Amino acid sequence: MQSTQLSAKRMTLKKFLDQYSIMLITVLMIVIATILQGTTFLSLSNFINIIRNNSVVGIIAFGMSLVIISGNIDLSVGAQMVLVASLTLDVVNRSGSALLGVITAFAFSCTLSLITGLIVTKGRVPSFIVTLGLQYIYRSILIYTLNGGGITTQNKSYALISSYNLFGWLPLQIVYFFVMAAIFFFISKYTVLGRHIYAVGSNEKATRLSGIKTDRIKIYAFLLLGAAIAVAAVAESSRMGSINSTSSGTGYELNAIAMSVIGGVAMEGGKGKLTNTMFGAFIFGLINNILTLVGVNTRLVNAFKGAIIIIAVLLQRKSRER
Amino acid sequence: MAEYALRMSNIVKTYGGVPVLKEVDFAVRPGEVHALVGENGAGKTTLMNILGGVVQMDSGEVEVLGEPLSHLSPGIMQEKGVAFIHQELNVVNDLTVYENLFLGRELRARIGTVDVKAMCREAEQVFSRMQVDVDPKALVGSLETSTKQIVEIARSLLLNAKIIIMDEPTTSLSQNEIDQVFRLMTNLARRHGVSIIFISHKLGEVVQFCDHYTVLRNGEKVAEGPLRPEDGAQVDQADIARMMVGQDVLSVEVYVPRELGETVLEASGIQINNHVRDVSFFLRKGEVLGITGLLGDGKEHLVRGLFGDLPIDEGSIILNGRPCQPRHPAQGKGAGLGFLPSNRKENAIIKDLSIQSNITIVSLEDCCTTGHVLSGKREHGMADRARQDFSIKFTDFDNAVTSLSGGNQQKVVLSKWLSMSPSVLLLSNPTQGVDVGAKNEIYAQIMKLAEQGVGIVITSGEAKEIIKICDRALVMYHGSVRGELDRDELTEENIMILSTGGELGKNDRSTAVCNPHS
Repeated sequence: MQSTQLSAKRMTLKKFLDQYSIMLITVLMIVIATILQGTTFLSLSNFINIIRNNSVVGIIAFGMSLVIISGNIDLSVGAQMVLVASLTLDVVNRSGSALLGVITAFAFSCTLSLITGLIVTKGRVPSFIVTLGLQYIYRSILIYTLNGGGITTQNKSYALISSYNLFGWLPLQIVYFFVMAAIFFFISKYTVLGRHIYAVGSNEKATRLSGIKTDRIKIYAFLLLGAAIAVAAVAESSRMGSINSTSSGTGYELNAIAMSVIGGVAMEGGKGKLTNTMFGAFIFGLINNILTLVGVNTRLVNAFKGAIIIIAVLLQRKSRER
Repeated sequence: MAEYALRMSNIVKTYGGVPVLKEVDFAVRPGEVHALVGENGAGKTTLMNILGGVVQMDSGEVEVLGEPLSHLSPGIMQEKGVAFIHQELNVVNDLTVYENLFLGRELRARIGTVDVKAMCREAEQVFSRMQVDVDPKALVGSLETSTKQIVEIARSLLLNAKIIIMDEPTTSLSQNEIDQVFRLMTNLARRHGVSIIFISHKLGEVVQFCDHYTVLRNGEKVAEGPLRPEDGAQVDQADIARMMVGQDVLSVEVYVPRELGETVLEASGIQINNHVRDVSFFLRKGEVLGITGLLGDGKEHLVRGLFGDLPIDEGSIILNGRPCQPRHPAQGKGAGLGFLPSNRKENAIIKDLSIQSNITIVSLEDCCTTGHVLSGKREHGMADRARQDFSIKFTDFDNAVTSLSGGNQQKVVLSKWLSMSPSVLLLSNPTQGVDVGAKNEIYAQIMKLAEQGVGIVITSGEAKEIIKICDRALVMYHGSVRGELDRDELTEENIMILSTGGELGKNDRSTAVCNPHS
């Protein structure tokens, strides 16, 4: 017994690097940025900016990570978020109640994700295909209903949901990001459902033969993503005060997948850590920020992002093979 | 020519302070079929990985064909004529035989296109050298497993292999195929002077087909010697098994006579597709019921149906006096059934989860203090009880389950059911891919569970296994029960007669019925 515990505590450098490489990369990027820019970079307002600019996609990424770990993927999250956000704004405008809007967002988003989950599990269609189709459907319905335009709100209390500054300096939107990170981390690590999500993604057959309703687990993963999308929809629409049917939320699905992947979530399922997805979101934000501070043409930002995604996965592959 | 095709001396290897190989000597003569045997974890694979250049040794010497090698790498070893044929076949099913043979070093015609004719010609030459008939243009995916193995051997011969290492080559082969592969191996050794190192758990084959043996136990070489009577062999199968585990295992008696309780499971008229036809049986508390028969005769489908993994078309099941018709494994589990599927890697091991999580996966809800929030302490406690009960050996609960040996993995996937105190355990091939020592431990565990009153159904194609631990056995033939044998009627002969469709007489001269001369 004792020897078991002793060896558990022994942490080699290799293990340490494997486990914390993402954090180290984040710290390294901060150090580089600080050397390049000095105090401009290290200021609180700059950090708040970085996180706020990536918090909406980051919140979606937490749900996305769970879905990928469960062995699926969701390409419709961007379109779903905009669809949910526009209905929410409409409800807020008609009822004048921000609360009713938030409730609508959760109810509508979870319903959509439930449908996704049901088609994927009961219909046995690969999630890639299902959500690819849903993405077109959502976006098209949205553009049709809004006539290619957008929807705005003047509701003051709804606007405060995102932009109210806690203690006078901490925007609520950032609080949501960290709260969602904490909730999703907790679910993934400390609940039965979380463990089952990893199990299903790792070996669905063996999990089923352990007497676990694997379809249900996969649907729950989609539902959690649906809840994350609802939070993202409210955060985005409340900060902007408007939603555009053609331009809002484009590319969010790929950015959310990118954050998960940079954080070490494996596309084949079963592997990944939610804390690292959070760092994936930081890294994503830092790239943007550093490049802007250094004065690289913003048109080149995506090239750097793409390179970082590939390098991150390359490094993880290498460290797993060792 | 050197006396030895291969000589490895004083090989030492440690992993994280744990010695895996302790000054091991291993030598193979040219043209010899040499069996390397030992339990899982004895060091066979490590030794061979060192030879293949995949793993670096800490110290020791390696000589190939009399030439001492200072540095080993996969490339160098291939150059020196050492080929490694792994258990998992390394062929591309969607390519043809010749494409597989020349994969990565295709022969080219003068203008740079691939020279199909030349490759087919060379392929035919190597097959005729091996005295086998394989069409170079056949799609590999359409071939039998044994033929795929032959393709792999042919590939190593095309690379001029002088030493071929075969890791458990026969696990997925039928008896006919095994014979074919062995004939081929012997032929290569005799006629072409190729040395073959044969790693296996199946001692029957080892004794029957190999020339020489080396036994490893806990990283040490414990014995070696000839296997052919003409070379002065003095060992039999039981001797080698004893050397592997360090005790007399084949004769270890595991069966414990005991009082059987009331009926706990009763199945009547079970019909599953065309695989199971009108099967009825009962199982008492504490009874070990064997279900045997040839491959594909429905025993797998039957247990999967009972557990809810396959839909049952007709029939009824009564479990603990209550009707039970599981349509999903979750319902089978809920009714009090536990299920150990065959084919561990595919159906039982959750590879990305730790050892502990693989054990607790069945009853995670019981590891919670509040709602569905896991308690690390409870979970650890549950896993630790399983570890103690089954004497599962490992260093750390948080290690990957795939780091365990086959026997220990099997103990993990078996022990996980105990936490839910099942009333019936359905075990499909419980000792598949497990070495002799671990086999006996698993048998002893099964007996212990039976003594505690768990009803146990075991499916197995190995008659010896059924005879060893079962109170009673059903023999299936083409989906239906051909006969039922009580413990005193359980003989390999009776099982064979029934599983090939024969009938037993009720008197002692049971074989007489099938004897055409009577």
